Amino acid sequence: MEIVYVYTKKRAEFGRQCNFSDRPAELHVDITPDPSLLENFIERNPVDSKIQCAQEMSEHEVNTERFETENRGINHTEGGWPKDVNAQEIEQVMRFRKKVEKDEMYINTIQQLGGVMEHCIRQNNAIDIYEEYFDDVEVDSTDEPPSAKTINVFRDPNEIKRTATHISWFPDGPRKLAIAYCNLEFQGSSADTSMDSYIWDVENPNKPEMVLKPVSPLVCLEYNPKDAHVLLGGCYNGQIAFWDTRKGSQPVEMSPIEHSHRDPAYKAIWLQSKSGTDCFSASTDGQVLWWDIRKMGEPNEILVLDPTKKQDLTKACGAMSLEYEPTIPTKFMVGCEQGSIMSCNRKAKTPAEKIVALYPGHHGPVYALQRNPFFPKNFLSVGDWTARIWSEDIRESSIMWTKYHMAYLTDGCWSPVRPAVFYTTKMDGTLDIWDFIFKQNDPTLSLQVCDEALHSIRVQDQGRLIATGSQSGTTTLLELSDGLCTLQRNEKALVTAMFERETRREKILESRHREMKLKERNKSSQGDKDDDEGEDNFEEDENLVDKAEKDFWHVIETEKKARERKEASRQDTEADKGDTGKQSPIQEDEEEEEEEKEPEKKEEEEEIAQEEEIKEDDN
Amino acid sequence: MDDFQSAEEAAFVVDEVSNIIKESIESAIGGNAYQHNKVNQWTSNVVEQCLNQLTKLGKPFKYIVTCVIMQKNGAGLHTASSCFWDNTTDGSCTVRWENKTMYCIVSVFGLSI
Repeated sequence: MEIVYVYTKKRAEFGRQCNFSDRPAELHVDITPDPSLLENFIERNPVDSKIQCAQEMSEHEVNTERFETENRGINHTEGGWPKDVNAQEIEQVMRFRKKVEKDEMYINTIQQLGGVMEHCIRQNNAIDIYEEYFDDVEVDSTDEPPSAKTINVFRDPNEIKRTATHISWFPDGPRKLAIAYCNLEFQGSSADTSMDSYIWDVENPNKPEMVLKPVSPLVCLEYNPKDAHVLLGGCYNGQIAFWDTRKGSQPVEMSPIEHSHRDPAYKAIWLQSKSGTDCFSASTDGQVLWWDIRKMGEPNEILVLDPTKKQDLTKACGAMSLEYEPTIPTKFMVGCEQGSIMSCNRKAKTPAEKIVALYPGHHGPVYALQRNPFFPKNFLSVGDWTARIWSEDIRESSIMWTKYHMAYLTDGCWSPVRPAVFYTTKMDGTLDIWDFIFKQNDPTLSLQVCDEALHSIRVQDQGRLIATGSQSGTTTLLELSDGLCTLQRNEKALVTAMFERETRREKILESRHREMKLKERNKSSQGDKDDDEGEDNFEEDENLVDKAEKDFWHVIETEKKARERKEASRQDTEADKGDTGKQSPIQEDEEEEEEEKEPEKKEEEEEIAQEEEIKEDDN
Repeated sequence: MDDFQSAEEAAFVVDEVSNIIKESIESAIGGNAYQHNKVNQWTSNVVEQCLNQLTKLGKPFKYIVTCVIMQKNGAGLHTASSCFWDNTTDGSCTVRWENKTMYCIVSVFGLSI
């Protein structure tokens, strides 16, 4: 049997019929070689190509995370009492004590422990563990070269950096620093520039210990020497404010704007007083104001810094720096924006008499002014490119000065422990330490503290620590070597001698100057008499000019000759010297200075004389 | 009528395809001069654009698109192809395009389903 099964499927369901056929080869593209096109190309020969023999390097930076430290404290209280005994109540405690003392075990334990205790106490008394072995040995640090090292750097924690304008040390030990931050550039601060100033713990540069929040950035900030909780600040808008660190970041009280300075209050200083609440401030608006922080509504006293002594505010000099020495509480000094220094006496009868003396000062604003802590008659001023030391008696010129530096000086101060040492800061970021017993021409030590300009400096009272603030708000804390902060043998006597000698020199020059001036005046007045008798004015005039010119060239000639002679003699002596050793550099320099100075003065006198003659002729 | 329409639809219209090819070459290369480091991009751009346009026609076809770009430096180029397919429906189109600095040869093969 055969089974047949038929499957059927429509043709249409198979899809399209495969009806394939061959398509003959077809040429698609036929581009024939065309050598003429090759002429458009130039063979590159030789061909530059680079290979590198050295290993390939890549730059990579890694910054370790800053280690943040934080101070915490624990307070231990009495404990160990049973739960039902309240240690605060004496009665319960007494009762519990009596109960324990009656216990048999108590006596035994006390007796046991007593033996151990006795042993320990005896041991302690046998040896003085705090004994100083080398108390009487004087450390001789004169041989070691002067040096300073950076201990800490405090940066302005804000995004927009501001200048560290003023630094104040905590009055009770070198533990804290109050630093005022302010952008001094005129209209240079934007709305989001922070106005805060900070108090830093010397040990902790990561976070300020306290924030001071004034209404206008602080230009200066000063701890009250009598009460370390109170700080005095001068604002950029001229207001004076004070803080009590126990009462928080906001100022306790501020002077009202209408009675404050009209310009930034550049300096504010606490006065020596019984209450410790008196202070005074100075500003570039030409006023010095006295305040009592117990009543800040109005200043106690106002002094207008008018050099013509008429108390005219329109003619006043702006004050950049203030000086106040607590040992002479009635006197103070002001350094002006125009460069002069005013010595004032607060206790004078009329306001005009308060300005006692004027010193010519500097070619620009006087940024720092301080009396020598050992010799208050002599004071230091810093301005333009020099630091100058003055004697109160000599009002014509300073008695000592540094050379003109390449960079502007920005601040300076005396060492509180060594009368011959002072510090200056410069625009190029260097801190100069001067010891004028050791060296006069150059600083004893010059430190590049940072790359930007330094703006302020303050020495701690013990003289070992210096804090210096820069343009961008970085305050560097430096520690000086022993030699720079211990009083040297004979130092006071040497400094006295030097100050006296320099003062005498200036006095002699001054009197000579005056004498010659007088002579010139007499001569010219005689000439005037002649004129009255009918001489020709013109001819006389011309003669005088001729004479002045001749004199001038004569002076220059003699100066030149003197220099040549000196040069020659120096070469001779140098050749001779060989082993005679060093001469004292001080004397040499002084001689030079004096010699240089005299001809200058002569010229000046001539000029003055000429001017006077001209004036008289005009009359 | 339906038959006619479908026949028309199913056919490979060479003119249409050649227009598509020319457009895509123009837009991908345009007036650019031969640049060695750009050629790779140009070839793939031409091929992709071409294929995009072809699929938009919505015809039941499989497509093969190739592109050759050659710098005009005097060398010759000869290409040929042969196919075994349904001659009535399938078709191919080759466009030779050139500017001052290069040749661009694009071939499209359309195979009906």
